[in-house]
Amino acid sequence: MPKIFIDDRAVEVAEGLTLLQAAESVGIPIPHFCYHPAFPPEGSCRMCLVEIEGLPKLELACSTVVKEGLRVRTMSPKVVEARKSVLEFLLAEHPLDCPICDKAGECKLQDYFEEYGLFKSQFKEAKEKREKKFKLGRNLILDRERCILCTRCVRFLNEITKTEDAGILNRGIHSEVGIFESEFIDNNYSGNLAQICPVGAITDTDFRFKTRVWFLESRESICPLCSRGCNIIMDSHAGYPRTLPTRRVYRVRARQNLDVNFHWICDYGRYGYAYLDEGREDRLVWKKGDRETRLSWDKAAQILSEKIRSLVHLRKNSRIGIVLHTNLTNEELFLADRVFRKGLGVEKLFLADPPPGKGDEFLLTADRTANRRGLQEVGLPVQAPDLKALSGLDLLLIFGHYLAAGTSPSDLKNALEKVETKALFASHKSGLDGLVDFVIPVPVIAEKNGSLTNIDGRVQPFVAGLSFAGDGIAEWRALLDLARELKVEHKYFSRLASPEAIYRALRKEIPFFK
Amino acid sequence: MIKALGYFLEIIKGGLITVRHFVTNMWFHTLKVLGLKAKRRGAVTIQYPEEKKELAARHRSLHRLLRREDGKPRCVSCLLCVTVCPSECISVEAAEDPDSEIQKVPAKFIIDLSRCCFCGFCVEACPEDAIRMDTGKIEVAEYRRADLIYDLDKLLK
Repeated sequence: MPKIFIDDRAVEVAEGLTLLQAAESVGIPIPHFCYHPAFPPEGSCRMCLVEIEGLPKLELACSTVVKEGLRVRTMSPKVVEARKSVLEFLLAEHPLDCPICDKAGECKLQDYFEEYGLFKSQFKEAKEKREKKFKLGRNLILDRERCILCTRCVRFLNEITKTEDAGILNRGIHSEVGIFESEFIDNNYSGNLAQICPVGAITDTDFRFKTRVWFLESRESICPLCSRGCNIIMDSHAGYPRTLPTRRVYRVRARQNLDVNFHWICDYGRYGYAYLDEGREDRLVWKKGDRETRLSWDKAAQILSEKIRSLVHLRKNSRIGIVLHTNLTNEELFLADRVFRKGLGVEKLFLADPPPGKGDEFLLTADRTANRRGLQEVGLPVQAPDLKALSGLDLLLIFGHYLAAGTSPSDLKNALEKVETKALFASHKSGLDGLVDFVIPVPVIAEKNGSLTNIDGRVQPFVAGLSFAGDGIAEWRALLDLARELKVEHKYFSRLASPEAIYRALRKEIPFFK
Repeated sequence: MIKALGYFLEIIKGGLITVRHFVTNMWFHTLKVLGLKAKRRGAVTIQYPEEKKELAARHRSLHRLLRREDGKPRCVSCLLCVTVCPSECISVEAAEDPDSEIQKVPAKFIIDLSRCCFCGFCVEACPEDAIRMDTGKIEVAEYRRADLIYDLDKLLK
């Protein structure tokens, strides 16, 4: 481990790191544009210049590898002067359209400009005019005036998607990011380009002009749209401006996790957030014939547990069926197992999931549910929802609205009509709503606490990023309430009051989760 | 008894103030009429609303949005006025403009005057000089709250 001195601080860093990485690892930020941890250093922005004792010129921190005994200064007057000059040159070509730039507020150029206080421009000439609205890809718009030619986008397309769609065309002042032979950037990871662009050159049509970034509230979450479990940040509406927001989440960004998704997420996850607001179930209703009654969950839980209790009393456990899905958290699957299978002796556990899509070799998996691995590890013996088996039941608790997707509506209707009591715990409206007696709205992954197991067996806890507005209840709470009403293993379940407590029990009982 | 005397004392005091003002103003009016002292004049009651006082040059009155030379609103919906507004009364929705030099235009621009405190921060924040508070209209009163919500058309007038 080489020992170096950064700003007179002796630090020991790992072999092979660059100065910039070494400085960042001890909490000394070095300004940079073109350096990105996912790519090898490029050294095109010249922003990360540092002074090294014994060398006559300033060196690039992003591409100088640490060596025993290096003495580095990151804030010496010489360095600051150099950075100011670099910024001045970048600004000479950069338009001052921050008021209409979507990046404003999280733009690195803006931040450094502010930090180094370059408020007096020496630039007297007219600025170069370039194309402001070049359609770069399916969801991407390139503003060539704003581009500082850091080539992050080019390197992303070369090294991550390996599609090599774009490059720097022409030379000198005519250099610009371009796509070859008018080939359009259209891959499942193109949304990342707008995120890695350090300035507002590449903007996302999905987010473009929707709001300003300082109005957003960033919440960490896990993407539930496939079983990779990518770490994401949801930027949601914080309540102001007061106009009724058409959506709660304005954009989804990748959150760095080198063990799962590195710095990226796929476009399927990035732009697929409409489900958070569209077609949501929001009223807890009890349907008797044509009449719909709104009631509270407590009341519904009493009625449901009364029915379950009477069936259990008559030793008709085999006539109770539970339909589960794998967008439930580990905790909920574990509770379903404990309450129904181990607690009440219910054997008929079914699994209805959304149909698989097409995966790719990178992040997106073919399985479009969040927790299939979790279901396997919890060890729930589930079977495919056979309509014949369903129709022979007296009571059916359906979790998720996916049962309607796989079967023909008339067959499903015929099968469910024979079941006496049917309760649906669903987050979204579906064809099932009309066929069941109880509709109980439940939150989606982004609105509850818990943990998910991704396809590689990594258990990832998450907390609610959005609030749940419907008058329903989270599945884990619903399962606990049912267990309490039914007086199943009272001592055991009374200790489990939160997803954390359930997870602790889960860890104790299932070796996989240790 | 003493308390009642106190009341009378205050009434007399108030009366004396009125008398003092009357005498001073009358004195200056008389002097002016006689041409002895022209500089200072006695107080005059303006007969509002028939007669209106001239507003100061920097007075902040009802907002207006300015237009470009071609008639389009100058506003680029950067939302800086929305950001700075302390009473949270402005809401703007942006739309894409076909002209790539302008890019962003307001699709909706709403000021809820029933919330507005006329601080003028929006005018100061505006990078395009698109909003001003120089209409001179100070009588913004309506019978219904909904009429106090001004939209783009009303503000551009």
